[in-house]
Amino acid sequence: MARPNETFSESWHRVASQRIALSPGVRVRRQTFRGERFYVLEDPLSNQFFRLRPAAYEFIARLRRDRTVDEAWQECLERFPDEAPGQEAALRLLGQLYQANLLHYDRATDTDALFQRYKKRTQRELKSRLTNIMFFRIPLVDPDRFLVWAMPIVGPFLGRLGALIWLAVVGLGLKTVAENWNAVLDQYQGVLAPGNLPFLYLALIALKTLHELGHAFLCRRFGGEVHTLGVLFMIFTPVPYVDVTSSWGFRARWQRVVVGLGGMIVELFVAGIAVFVWANTGPGTVHGVAYNVMFIASVSTLLFNLNPLLRFDGYYILSDLLGIPNLAQLANRQLRHVFEHHLFGVKPAQSPARTGTEATWLFTYGITSGAYRLFVFGGILLAIADRYLLLGIIMLATCAVAWVATPLVNLVRYLGASPKLDRVRPRAIAVVVGLAVVVIAPFAIIPFPNTFTAIGIIQAVDRARVVTETAGLLERVVTDVRQPVRKDDVLLELTNPELDHALDATRAALAEVDARLRQTLTGQIANRQPLEARRAVLADQKARLEQQIADLRVPARIDGVWSAPGIQELVGRWLPRGSPLGLVLNPNRFEFVAVVQQADADRLFRTELASAQIRLHGQTADSLNVEHLRIVPGDSRILPTPILGWLGGGDIPTEKEDREGRRTSEPFFEVRATLPAEGPLKLADGQSGRMRFRLPPQPLLQQGWRRLRQLLQQRYQW
Amino acid sequence: MVTAASTEWSWKKAEPLPEGLDLSVHNVLGRWRRRPGCRRPLEKTTEAALAAAPEMESLRDHDLQQRLLEYRGHFRRGGDAATAFLAPALAAIREAARRTVHLHPFPVQIVGALALHHGYLAEMATGEGKTLTAGLAAVLAGWTQRPVHIVTANDYLVERDATWLEPLYTFAGVRVGHVTGGMAPPDRRRGYAADVTYVTAREVLADFLRDRLLLDTLADPTQRRIRSLVQPVVTQRRLSQLVLRGLHTAIIDEADSLLIDEAVTPLIISRPVPNPRLRDATLQARHLAGLLAPDLHYRVNLRYREIELTPGGEAVVAEACRDLPAVWKGRDRRHELVRQALSARELFLAGRQYIVDQGKIVIVDEGTGRPQPMRTWQQGLHQAIEAKEGVPFTDPSETAARMSFQRFFRLFHRLSGMTGTALEAATEFWQIYGLPVLRIPTHRPCIRTRLPDRFFPTATAKWEAVVEGIRAVHATGRPVLVGTRTVAASERLARFLEAHGLEFRLLNAVHHADEATTIAMAGENRRITIATNMAGRGTDIRLGKGVDALGGLHVIATERHESGRVDRQLMGRAARQGDPGSAQLFASAEDDIVRRYLPQPAQSMVGTAPAPVAGALVARAQAKAQSIAFRQRQQVLRSDTWLEESLAFAPGS
Repeated sequence: MARPNETFSESWHRVASQRIALSPGVRVRRQTFRGERFYVLEDPLSNQFFRLRPAAYEFIARLRRDRTVDEAWQECLERFPDEAPGQEAALRLLGQLYQANLLHYDRATDTDALFQRYKKRTQRELKSRLTNIMFFRIPLVDPDRFLVWAMPIVGPFLGRLGALIWLAVVGLGLKTVAENWNAVLDQYQGVLAPGNLPFLYLALIALKTLHELGHAFLCRRFGGEVHTLGVLFMIFTPVPYVDVTSSWGFRARWQRVVVGLGGMIVELFVAGIAVFVWANTGPGTVHGVAYNVMFIASVSTLLFNLNPLLRFDGYYILSDLLGIPNLAQLANRQLRHVFEHHLFGVKPAQSPARTGTEATWLFTYGITSGAYRLFVFGGILLAIADRYLLLGIIMLATCAVAWVATPLVNLVRYLGASPKLDRVRPRAIAVVVGLAVVVIAPFAIIPFPNTFTAIGIIQAVDRARVVTETAGLLERVVTDVRQPVRKDDVLLELTNPELDHALDATRAALAEVDARLRQTLTGQIANRQPLEARRAVLADQKARLEQQIADLRVPARIDGVWSAPGIQELVGRWLPRGSPLGLVLNPNRFEFVAVVQQADADRLFRTELASAQIRLHGQTADSLNVEHLRIVPGDSRILPTPILGWLGGGDIPTEKEDREGRRTSEPFFEVRATLPAEGPLKLADGQSGRMRFRLPPQPLLQQGWRRLRQLLQQRYQW
Repeated sequence: MVTAASTEWSWKKAEPLPEGLDLSVHNVLGRWRRRPGCRRPLEKTTEAALAAAPEMESLRDHDLQQRLLEYRGHFRRGGDAATAFLAPALAAIREAARRTVHLHPFPVQIVGALALHHGYLAEMATGEGKTLTAGLAAVLAGWTQRPVHIVTANDYLVERDATWLEPLYTFAGVRVGHVTGGMAPPDRRRGYAADVTYVTAREVLADFLRDRLLLDTLADPTQRRIRSLVQPVVTQRRLSQLVLRGLHTAIIDEADSLLIDEAVTPLIISRPVPNPRLRDATLQARHLAGLLAPDLHYRVNLRYREIELTPGGEAVVAEACRDLPAVWKGRDRRHELVRQALSARELFLAGRQYIVDQGKIVIVDEGTGRPQPMRTWQQGLHQAIEAKEGVPFTDPSETAARMSFQRFFRLFHRLSGMTGTALEAATEFWQIYGLPVLRIPTHRPCIRTRLPDRFFPTATAKWEAVVEGIRAVHATGRPVLVGTRTVAASERLARFLEAHGLEFRLLNAVHHADEATTIAMAGENRRITIATNMAGRGTDIRLGKGVDALGGLHVIATERHESGRVDRQLMGRAARQGDPGSAQLFASAEDDIVRRYLPQPAQSMVGTAPAPVAGALVARAQAKAQSIAFRQRQQVLRSDTWLEESLAFAPGS
């Protein structure tokens, strides 16, 4: 098609002699955006809108049944020689108005074409609905009559009175929340707990319905009609929606903004009430529901609805405040323009922005919303892929096609064949390739530090457990806990009267045997042999008992520091044999035992481990470099301590059946490193921390690709 | 009679072009519809028709005619009966052709007629008797009494074919008529009133547009009926002025040239309207252009044929326009006018884009070099050039209606056609017109020898080889036909041949005096003919005496054309109807098609790589040229369709 601003068109004859005008029912309103006038044509029957620039409106307004299109155009040209639309532009305008059923003409309507257009429109709607599967809409009812009916009741609150009440409730709510801040935080942990989800969802539905009614009532209050209430399947989760497009026709910007804010106003109000309910009830269902409502109505509203980067309320409000309708599309066009004009050097290019500020806005919005969308959709995708394996793969494939392959193909096609680039094609290709290189090269070529970490704990190299060798009553703690001890120092003293008795009995028996042995000297020599055997047994028994009694004094096996948490409480208690009572650790030699999960094991073995860095929880400011790492050959499934596993708050998955929390769900590898005695870190046995392995640097792309493969392997056993 | 038919005046609403996924499905469907196996059922029917031949031969003239009228009744009622009687009806028509025009259609011609009857685009080699084939199909179509148009290339063929086959039509109970350029409306009306009308595309399209203008609001059948009841007299008077009976069946001869090569050329119904405003503006623009100097005030972009004003130039124009009327106040508007005046001065040269002939500007077609007295440039430009040449202003014509052949032929309910070369554009025929291409075998097997293609690094080397090739064949006494792509190339070759002392005939846009005779004589002994590719299309080259014994006509193509069909048409001039003959292609790395459609590195390979590789490269260039041309035509149709849909409130086109 010819250039739209051309004065003459080869097809002008088709309309030149027609006598047409706007349909009588069409309402025209004037709007101002950024100081520029616009005319909005509204068809009250179909609720369709059409925005015109003043020059175009001057032409359309001149169309009357008593003169031809050509006459109207000529007059327009005389009056506004510069701004008046050229024939080509006028033709397009008429075509669009006709397609929108806004024109009145003096011949029978081509009903066939009318149906054709209707069919086309429904098809287009269906198509956009299907492509927008993440936001699938099903219109259900026409709420307009309900709104009109309810207006006398609701209406009075949609004004100053309402605003005052709202401010009071929300203000007091905020105050209550501030006062109970800790409780709020505590319960927050539980919001997404599985048992809470049904409540959360029910609360969400109820709230969003109120939210939509908020839009609807405010729109109706300012005179806009609301004809659709339906269900929106947002990422397959049904939530209600209403269609308040009629508010676009409002002349005052503040009215449009208020309608846009309507949902949030209602939600925040409900949140305020929920705060009171929550604060004044004890734990229970009501309390929980109130908390959920409070949570959704404030956090989700502010995060999603007000966020202009998503296409929710915030977007339309921002677009209205900036005075840039179709912000998102324009932003994309602006980005394209920036590329084509400034980077490719396409000459006759017109920026969709009217002013410099607007250009900046569009550019910024285009970039941020693009990045944000990528981020959000990526997250949603991962979340879904995590839950539903097959669906996840299908969606991943679809998205790969829709967001990666198609744009790439389009880009190549655009670069290769777009007539716009005819004259600047080499430059355009050079720029795109250059940009791609500039963007990708750092990731693909420049090596980045390549590290991975593993959780682990500090253990003393020399450590001896203090265990009762003999059962007994803990009499006293001889050496105080946390004192340095030397080897064989007595730590604890136990008593065991039974042993004493047994020893006494044994001694007596021994004495008896000795006496009888002496008797045999006087005869009965034949009895001597069994008696000697018995004596040997008794002597043995005595020695053993003596040893056991000696063992009641529990010694330190090694030099070190003696520690036994809670030992004092055991004083006076009977301890069976083999009870662990504490540890004697050598505080001079510690080692770090790191648990490396399978995902990282490959890197652990493939590359030579030069050194590693250890950071301890609670002492993150300082780190410790260690060398001489020892990998314990063979994989193990029992953790050195439960605190590394899920049950103990670590990040190693453990098996659910294992109460102790030491048995891991997949095997792991142990890496040990001896820690120097002197160092910036205060070392203590059992302290957990992380070991950061430093591998030879690798470009980021390579690293990312490996992670992706691992992720797939881990999640889908690829 | 005429008015009664006029109430039925209608045409098909063209279906929208499929897009996206639909298009892929549509393309697959097209492949299925034009699979070679489609010929089987047609051949079966043909066999049945041939089997019925003895019975028909035994009938007396009167009985045969009775039989034909009986079939006509079945066909008029349509439905299954018509299908059932297809074979005997064809047998009867064939017999009638033998008795009336003394031609006995070959089996392949019956297959061709059936293909036309079933809405195929029949690919039939030249000289296979397409006129008679169309005649057979037209009898079948004419029996239905719906308007049948046989569209041929020019008025001469219209008259010749209609007169030639009239006895056959009359015998078969079909009224035949024809419409040519000079006819007055009553004659036209009579021509169209016949069951079968021979006409050129230009005439039928012009009549269609005029009728539509006349119909205006009555174009809608419902409206027409209501108006006939409400205002019977006025409506009848208006309807009686129509010449056409509407559009229903069309059989197009040389379908590819009409449906593809000339598809987007619009036919314009216009009348001159004095436009003093435009006249003044143009003169003023010319005056302004006189103030501007190249490079200082404007830059000329020869490659894209554009003028760009520099800021300095814009300032000069703004200054000069201060006291001018309102039209000159608008910045864009005045720049447009000044640029146009500058284009007229810088980009349009006398003798190249136009000639001045008897105080008139006549456009010259840059491709063929032919003067095109009927054409004008867009509004304003033509006048700007007139202003530059100082010839009197012609009034700008005001378009009343315009339509391209592409859009026009989509309006027929039943479309079919014949051409020698269709397969190359099968996709386009299917996508745009819904025509599946079906290849009809030749009556006698073709014994053309295709000599291996030859490739050269430079044009000079190529021309030397061409001359050598001509001399070699000429020495054997065989006639040689050399096809060139452009007028310039044909003249260049002529100079070469003159230098070598060879006698030849030259046929191009400049020398086209006895086009038909020159071509017809090209088959004579020892004859050398140089012709641009399009010259003499539709005329047979018959071999001179004894030439077939020498090996028949030798055709040399000196370049590949942008369309493969043209190449094939040229090669197809040799070895027609079972005659012997040979053809050879010469191409070089400096050929236009190579330079325009191949990337730089591939270009040099054309001259150096082995022949199969070079051949593949040139074929690639040709494929690219064809697809670009196709896309352009698609684009035109799309924007036409958009206009059609969006401006449906305004009738006409």
